[in-house]
Amino acid sequence: MTTHAQTSDETADAPLQERRARPTWGRVATYIAGVSIGVWILFPIWFIFSMAFTTREEVRSFPKSVFPFTPFSTDTMEFFLSVDGVTSGLVNSLIVAVLTVVMSTALAAPAGYAISRYLFPGRDLFRLGILGVRAFPVVVLSIPLAVLFIRANLFDNIISVALMHTILTLPTTILVIASVFASVPYELEEAGQVFGASPWQSFRHIVLPLVVPGIAASSVLTFVLSWNEVFAASVLTLENRTLPALLLNQLSQSGPAYQFAGGFFLMIPSLIFMFVIRKYLFNMWGQVSK
Amino acid sequence: MSDPTPRTRKRPLTPYLLIAPTLIFLAAFFAYPMFQGLILAVYDDEAVLPILDEASLEASRVGELPQGAAVNILGQQGNTIDGELTTDLLTEQWFRLSATDVDGSDAEGWAPESRVRVRDEAADGSPIGGTIRPKLGENADPLTPLFAEPNERAEVVAQLEQRAVVTIVDETLLEVWFNVTAVDDDGTEISGWAPSRFIRAFESGEEGRVDRGSDGKFTSRFIEKMFNDRFFGPAWQTTILLMVIIIPLQFILAMAMALVIHARPRGTSGFLYVYSLPMGMSDLAVGILFFSIFTSNGLLNSVLDFLGLVDGTPIYLSADTRYWIIIAIVLAELWRATSIVMVIIVSGLQAIPDETLEAAELFGASYWQRVRYIILPLLKPSLQVALILRTILAFQVFAVVIALGGGEIVTVLSNETYRQYFELRDNNVASAYAVFILVLSLTSSFFYLRTVRTNDAAAQR
Repeated sequence: MTTHAQTSDETADAPLQERRARPTWGRVATYIAGVSIGVWILFPIWFIFSMAFTTREEVRSFPKSVFPFTPFSTDTMEFFLSVDGVTSGLVNSLIVAVLTVVMSTALAAPAGYAISRYLFPGRDLFRLGILGVRAFPVVVLSIPLAVLFIRANLFDNIISVALMHTILTLPTTILVIASVFASVPYELEEAGQVFGASPWQSFRHIVLPLVVPGIAASSVLTFVLSWNEVFAASVLTLENRTLPALLLNQLSQSGPAYQFAGGFFLMIPSLIFMFVIRKYLFNMWGQVSK
Repeated sequence: MSDPTPRTRKRPLTPYLLIAPTLIFLAAFFAYPMFQGLILAVYDDEAVLPILDEASLEASRVGELPQGAAVNILGQQGNTIDGELTTDLLTEQWFRLSATDVDGSDAEGWAPESRVRVRDEAADGSPIGGTIRPKLGENADPLTPLFAEPNERAEVVAQLEQRAVVTIVDETLLEVWFNVTAVDDDGTEISGWAPSRFIRAFESGEEGRVDRGSDGKFTSRFIEKMFNDRFFGPAWQTTILLMVIIIPLQFILAMAMALVIHARPRGTSGFLYVYSLPMGMSDLAVGILFFSIFTSNGLLNSVLDFLGLVDGTPIYLSADTRYWIIIAIVLAELWRATSIVMVIIVSGLQAIPDETLEAAELFGASYWQRVRYIILPLLKPSLQVALILRTILAFQVFAVVIALGGGEIVTVLSNETYRQYFELRDNNVASAYAVFILVLSLTSSFFYLRTVRTNDAAAQR
């Protein structure tokens, strides 16, 4: 079996291009595998979307219609949003995620800059420590933090959830932002200073415009991590639930319409997120997984 | 991917100032609570009750009793309340009285509420006057003493006759302390005082037991309680079972996905977008997603019904069909968490020089030979990272299991942590579970790092 598993840039390599044009069995196999994996991933998403946008009768009925969105209706959605606690859960999730993004980025930006621009004693230790924090399971950290927040009278407060999510996302955010800064050559900053700009000016006018897209991508990642997180949010709240915590606790007492619509809401940010950061995906995880 | 190119600058203080906020934040919200959490698992802060030689918190300790110890209650006495005033506190009220004593001189002092019959009250209901109750019994001392302080051991400042008219100047609430005797852990008999809030008196009022302690002690009690918990066995077994099934399948699937991407089919970025979609998905959403597939009138049965393969609606997610729940969890986790492994592997594949593979192809290596003898060995560091990451995450699997298994029929370690904390309100045992998960995660990470390093050493020989 011959296949071109490894080809360099399409236009650069003429002979390979030629061979690729002839559909070999290997090539066909690659497409078959690729498309079937794609179907495996897309099919469940498509199903829950069609369930979220149909009538409640259809959600309960059996067998379900083979065609999606038949009949198309916002009935399920309206029902979900009218359930007690859902809108406040959505608002809470939104506030927590925004607070997490703000705190996490505010802390991570200087730290990321420091480890990408300076060689200082303790730099490796700091990086290692950050990775260590990241390796700690959420489950392990949630209980002690809950106890601490109960003592500090911060329990069942969405600020406590935001603080917890900041710890969870901070290591990733620092490493991603460090890689973003590292992708801007220091020479540019130096050049600015040669032409008479102060270090702050050259940072503000040269580096900042270049890193803003990367930092925005990292913020989106932080947002989604916080939006999705369910364990810590369930442990730290009782009345002021975020959406995932609310869903988790009502799962056993709720009907399918509620569950599907809830699942749909949980998924929206991640779909947007993957679209926004797809360019940065490998930069991020390449860096983080080092 | 691109390694940072750090420079040394003249001002060495700047980087420390830049990382300081992060360090402070991590110290306050990570290191400190983490330490406290580890302590919670092995430290019982209500383990022992100190017994004091007088009914006063400043008195010296004569011994200590463990939680649950039986005590004989010899007597009781009021004492100022230390700490919060809770509703279930056993209390005594004392009045500060102003009256004429037996000698005819004016006196002021404290007496317990039980000695005074209140006959006059202010508009707000607080007592302002009354008379001294007569004492019953033939041999009883007819006089009632007034104390300098609200304490029966305090100096007696005056004696009042029975039925003497008194003015109530002030009042105070005291906590009852018990004078107890008991046998402690070492078998020695101790006798002394302890606040009544820590002791549950039985109906007779002469016996009781230590309800909870006021002083901490290191203990393995919580860890033992965790090991003896009826859900502990199923929880760790299921966690490990899921890990053992999921991780190999996941790596095969991720490898297939990465090789498809690496082969650069038409529309690679489209494939990449679709393949990485699940990466940002909430685990709860994925749990619901697969629930919608496996529930009895869900997608699976609809499709099978459409194809005419089933009669009615077989039930998959029930206590009788645990294996179906496991299968559903495995599929859900495969769907959800394979993307991250794929991304790490693709990053690793990009680092393999094209020339290496082209050379192998020129020398006639087949596709599988190239994968087996070139790609896999060169991918080892990436695979190791992915393996550590996935194992740590596998110990935390939570929402998917709750969504598909309800949390009782199929349970995992993180779910037990949650149950102990949330349903049973036992922070200590919950912490013990958390520590157990931590130990498992660290051990397995260490094991992976160790194994790969040994292999490297062997390869160098």
